[in-house]
Amino acid sequence: MKSLALPTFISQQLIREEKLGVCQPRLQVSSDRSPHGPSVSVCFLAPDLIAFLTSCARPNELLKSVFRVTVAQVPSPEGDRLPDVSGRYLLLEDELRFIPHFPFERDVKYRATFDPRPLGAPLTAESLNREFFIPSEQEAPALTEVTHIFPSCALLPENLLRFYVCFSNPMQRGQALKAISLLDSDGQPVADALYRPPVELWDRSMRHLTVLLDPGRLKRWVGPNVELGPPLEVGEKYALEIGVGMTDLYGRPLSESFRKHFVVGDPVRERVSVEHWKILPPGTGSRQALVLIFASPLDWALLQQTITIESPDGLVIDGQVVVDQHERRWSFTPTSPWVTGVYQIRVGPGLEDVCGNNTTEAFDRPLRKGPNLVTRINGSSLIFQLI
Amino acid sequence: MSEKPISSGHSRRDILRFAAASAVGLALPGGISAASGAPVAHDGVSGPLRSAGVLTFGPNNVLFVGDITGATIHAFALRDKDLTSQTDLISGNFHNFEGRDHIVGLDQKLAALLGTTIDKIVINDLAVHQPTEQIFLSVERGRGTDAIPAIVKVNHGQLEILELDKIPHSHISIPSEPDSTAMLEFDPQQVYAITDIKCYNGELFVTGITNQRFASTLHRIPYPFNSGMATCTVEIWHPVHGEFETRAPIIRHVIRELNGEPYLFAVYGCTPLVRFPLSALKDGTHVRGDLIGELGYGANPLDMLTFTSPADSKDYLLVTIDTRSASQIAVSDLASAPAQPTGGGIDFGPGGLGRTQRALPIKAEHIAILNPKWAILIWRHPRTTYRLDLSTLALPYFFERKDGMSEMNWPNGPDPFHYREHRNELGNQ
Repeated sequence: MKSLALPTFISQQLIREEKLGVCQPRLQVSSDRSPHGPSVSVCFLAPDLIAFLTSCARPNELLKSVFRVTVAQVPSPEGDRLPDVSGRYLLLEDELRFIPHFPFERDVKYRATFDPRPLGAPLTAESLNREFFIPSEQEAPALTEVTHIFPSCALLPENLLRFYVCFSNPMQRGQALKAISLLDSDGQPVADALYRPPVELWDRSMRHLTVLLDPGRLKRWVGPNVELGPPLEVGEKYALEIGVGMTDLYGRPLSESFRKHFVVGDPVRERVSVEHWKILPPGTGSRQALVLIFASPLDWALLQQTITIESPDGLVIDGQVVVDQHERRWSFTPTSPWVTGVYQIRVGPGLEDVCGNNTTEAFDRPLRKGPNLVTRINGSSLIFQLI
Repeated sequence: MSEKPISSGHSRRDILRFAAASAVGLALPGGISAASGAPVAHDGVSGPLRSAGVLTFGPNNVLFVGDITGATIHAFALRDKDLTSQTDLISGNFHNFEGRDHIVGLDQKLAALLGTTIDKIVINDLAVHQPTEQIFLSVERGRGTDAIPAIVKVNHGQLEILELDKIPHSHISIPSEPDSTAMLEFDPQQVYAITDIKCYNGELFVTGITNQRFASTLHRIPYPFNSGMATCTVEIWHPVHGEFETRAPIIRHVIRELNGEPYLFAVYGCTPLVRFPLSALKDGTHVRGDLIGELGYGANPLDMLTFTSPADSKDYLLVTIDTRSASQIAVSDLASAPAQPTGGGIDFGPGGLGRTQRALPIKAEHIAILNPKWAILIWRHPRTTYRLDLSTLALPYFFERKDGMSEMNWPNGPDPFHYREHRNELGNQ
């Protein structure tokens, strides 16, 4: 289970608490450095009450009616009851502690109620009530903005398959359909151009979102392509707009909307020709970067993970990859110096260009005939020798 | 900013349990409180889950959970105490097509239980444990990297969180990249989004899509888990697109035996219905499915299931769809339907079995079969769209009479279906 990094904070948001002496029972919100974060406790409980609770056969049943934590909220129009916050109880020396199963959320107001009357005489006392909340972190990161949209080039092929939208902070799901649109040169949304995936396609860090153009409109002779034409038209200007409605992890809109302006050029309908890549080999004994130059831009995300370098003894070597020059340059800086010998540049079968063309075939290709369906997408490799 | 959960009263739920291993559980029987105050390490209700997605039940009370963030399929072998029979619950008045609400304001109540506001509640799936008719929900609190997963069950209208760390568990990783032979030690940004899981004859069939390559992949995994996994890519003829498609993901699937032969039936976006014989789904193969129905363009399927009609005892396939009515197709037609010709011109459909599909009035975010006479669904009533409800709907017409404004619902109106004779006939079967 993931737990939030909650601040070490003792809530002072005491709205209503009985005026009791320090040794009288009181409700207290405690910061706690343990993994489950803050908890709420009834402190300074009398020894006989603790003894009574420890002697109960089913203390849980009793405690959940005596010490309750709820989300503080306005009444329901249905008059329907809402459950208490799910959690568990710890009985300590003079303290009864409630630990929520899911850490208290920042800025959500909770109400803790301790009403010992069901425990019966002579333990009867007045009930305690307290509302509290855990405030947001003092140092919230700067407002979120779109940092990049890939492909980074301002001239994009007519049959572009996908964009990657990069944000400066982790984001929340659920807003992409409404907040992201493709605009024409008049700033009007282009209908049915973007694909609606069954789930929003985020990476694990939730900073990078994949936005696909409708593949049915990209493939020639395919129904939507014939009916509606390709989503992009050669020679036209467009903008991919990321609206402020995208919500970041902290619940905030973007600092401003972002538009990636581009012009549409001719489609690319050929496989990625690995054999035409230009190799700029490093110096032997150095830790200079090995550089590959591509004829046309390749997919930014797939470039990060589909090319590996094998040393002369056949091992994959560690290093850092940098992709730049509008995704036409791939540089690899090894962690150890280059040695003499023959290196293999292994290109995985997953590598594609910005149109989804891979190293074996084009994305938009003639129909395959006959019963043999297997077009194995093979990886390729190049070599360079250091002497 | 957000719609707050709302309440006017209290409830005393049997949800806060003493864990046997908790400090309280240890301290109380001895009558001595733990003076140190050291809490137990973790509350663990999410157990091994990193996210909570598709749910499905297998034999022996095993609940499978698709975990996209963890790139894992989890199997929780539920114990007897994790299951409470709900067969005594009244589902509604079957003769009069009057369902009942099991939970009004499901999202409001989940928010209260998980200690959050309603905008942070995401319900990803719904499954029913058929022997007990108990409903299980896969839920996340939060929509970002801080999202916390939970499996919540419904016990006589009350929500209870499954404490997953206490339930016997096994799991298997799903490769996020089908051809991951070449991977550097970089952060693998590629995510395999699991769209559906079904269990058949000791195997799981897992379908999904990746965020980068947009490739349709089907994994076939034996259970109990071992290292075995067969992965194939699939291809269909898509008449609306007039193309063989290898990339469109299977969004939902079911497995049925027809004439002694098991088949996987899959629906895709925009909305082809495709048949694959299980015998063809072998590791490393590329399989072309038979397109047997085109259910209509411009739509995405939400759920796919089969049910036996209490009216004619025949089996039917049901596909719910986001932008229009649900589709019903006789299961007997699934095996016999001819594969639609490939290579022809563009056909916007409907085609094949799509031409004879029956439209059903279902508007549900999630739906499952509860028992032989009732389905259970999560939906928004048109008059209370600010909340989600968990309600029953009578088979086989999936029609809710009490929402109707038709004349026969007025006190002195005609009564061709003899509703008045069957007033107050509540039952669960």
